[in-house]
Amino acid sequence: MAWIVEDRLKPYSPTRSEPYLSPAIRRQVEEKYFPRYPNKRAALLPLFHIIMHEYGYIAPQAIDEAAEFLGLARAQVQDAVSFYEEFRLQPGGTCVINVCRSISCELLGYHAVLEKIRQTFGIDPGETTADHKITVLEVECLGACEQAPCALVNEELHGCLQPEEFVRRLQELSR
Amino acid sequence: MAFAGPVLLKRIPADPAQRKLYRWADYNATGGYEGLKKAQSMPPEDVIKLVIESGLRGRGGAGFPCGTKWTFLPKDVHPRYLAVNFDESEPGTFKDRYLIDHDPHVLLEGIAIAAYANRISTSYIYIRGEYHRQARVLEEAIAEAYAHGVFGGKHPGTDIIHNCYVHRGAGAYICGEETGLLESLEGKRGWPRIKPPFPAVAGAFAKPTIINNVETLSCLPAIALHGAAWFKSMGTPSSAGPKLFGVSGHVHRPGVFENELGIKMSVLIEKYAGGVKGGKYKAAIPGGVSMGILGTDQYDAALDFDIGKKYNVLGLGTAGVIVMNDQTDLVRALRNIVRFFAHESCGQCTPCREGTAWMHKILNRIVAGLGKPRDFDLLMEVAFSMGAMPGTTICGLADGANWAVRTFLQKFPEEFKARLKPQQVGGVNITPVAVAV
Ligand SMILES: Cc1cc2nc3c(=O)[nH]c(=O)nc-3n(C[C@H](O)[C@H](O)[C@H](O)COP(=O)(O)O)c2cc1C
Ligand code: SF4
Ligand code: FES
Repeated sequence: MAWIVEDRLKPYSPTRSEPYLSPAIRRQVEEKYFPRYPNKRAALLPLFHIIMHEYGYIAPQAIDEAAEFLGLARAQVQDAVSFYEEFRLQPGGTCVINVCRSISCELLGYHAVLEKIRQTFGIDPGETTADHKITVLEVECLGACEQAPCALVNEELHGCLQPEEFVRRLQELSR
Repeated sequence: MAFAGPVLLKRIPADPAQRKLYRWADYNATGGYEGLKKAQSMPPEDVIKLVIESGLRGRGGAGFPCGTKWTFLPKDVHPRYLAVNFDESEPGTFKDRYLIDHDPHVLLEGIAIAAYANRISTSYIYIRGEYHRQARVLEEAIAEAYAHGVFGGKHPGTDIIHNCYVHRGAGAYICGEETGLLESLEGKRGWPRIKPPFPAVAGAFAKPTIINNVETLSCLPAIALHGAAWFKSMGTPSSAGPKLFGVSGHVHRPGVFENELGIKMSVLIEKYAGGVKGGKYKAAIPGGVSMGILGTDQYDAALDFDIGKKYNVLGLGTAGVIVMNDQTDLVRALRNIVRFFAHESCGQCTPCREGTAWMHKILNRIVAGLGKPRDFDLLMEVAFSMGAMPGTTICGLADGANWAVRTFLQKFPEEFKARLKPQQVGGVNITPVAVAV
């Protein structure tokens, strides 16, 4: 996990009239996830996975709505959500690339992958291209060390990366 | 010691071209769910006895005897939960993923056996968030198992209905620690709990809970089918059975391999992983970065649960071996490992939060050529002061950081000392603190 510091200088994102927790999402959680646990709070991670999948990030308004939906205080939801690195609180590009930087990938050249991405797209870890197509992030071991160096592009693992070939693939994927 | 052939990987051929995903029909056609039938023909207490006799020890890192853990459940307190630890976030570890990628039903059968033996109401498979594909594979396999009555029915002779679900994590190593996992399962941040109470007494949702690793549970079908003596015929007296070993880093053929516990690391690297790549063997991490490092003279280390005492490492851990050749800069390697711990520390305990962050800073300055002679002792001092073993922290993450640092320094002191020199400005000794990386 990382310490996520909230940037209070940025304005609270404008309120959307349409709820993030659409009736379809609510129904899915009520029917599929609530019965799995003895209380509603435990459905918090599944709920935010759905929100991440739908919207690519978690807006402050989605946290408000989730708190009301799960019967929790906003602080309780914020507390949990901000702990998990996969739950991003800022929108990213169409392609979110999580490059593994842990030991096996460092031994086998993850630096070269990042360097190639920097040269090609002009972004460092944590940044998004101006056209909102590509976000690159560094993450810890992806559990695929035999395919080092590797990266997760959105929900798919790409292993044994060759920098040249990988950026070509990214250009296709983000088109 | 006798290892006749793969047990856990029996459905996963060594040739990648022949590997496939075993669904319900394929699994059943190859002896699947026979172990469950056998187990259900015995009284639950006898299944627990069988697992104790088999000598099966936890494959998740700590090596705790599996059957013994089950006996800690208080009598007649229900509901009881089983949390399956599929968080697998320790750098160098990918064995559970490899197994589930091809043979998800072996885990489900193991879960069904453990649930039967312990009268479990609900089993939650806690899978790390990054394993998108594996979560889908498991969801599909669970649906097949429900359709065939493995889950969703009563344990024979009781009114207890057993369900099994997947619960996805969201990118936090600490959720692999068993009580961090439980917090995360309950929808909270994954902060490890102070023990006692132990999970067996008050675990998930304050109810008795067993936590077991994927590989541990996947051993159960074979144990139920072939018996304790057969299982114990593999491995060593203290470390029974077959084991999955992950090998990554500087080797020609990285991957997951199965052999019995006690196999020599050199054999694993040469016979299975194709030998060291890009130079000669220099060092290796035996089981995930928390375990520390094996030196150049420890190439032949026997990989079993006694490895800690014999070779001055923390233990076998996850048996995820990371090989480093003689071109490797161990100062950088250690910095990477310490950065991992500093990043993943949950921050509850001061020695862990501050210790990992300061060790990272010190290593940054050493890598940048600004290390001072005293930094060697300073690193050692900080390392030794943190961990659940010195008794200053809630969980074992700090121990991992401690063992990584102390064993690198103890086994390769020259490599570190060569990088340290007095740092002076105008003839006055200074301490560089902030170093841009
Ligand atoms: C920081 C930390 C991380 C851990 N991560 C994992 C993990 O990812 N997977 C796992 O099975 N066990 C992990 N463990 C070990 C678990 O706490 C626990 O011992 C294990 O899941 C018990 O199962 P077993 O007895 O079957 O091995 C971790 C422990 C610590 C202290
Ligand atoms: S030892 Fe570290 S990771 Fe474990 S509870 Fe304490 S601060 Fe968190
Ligand atoms: S170190 Fe990169 S996937 Fe494990």
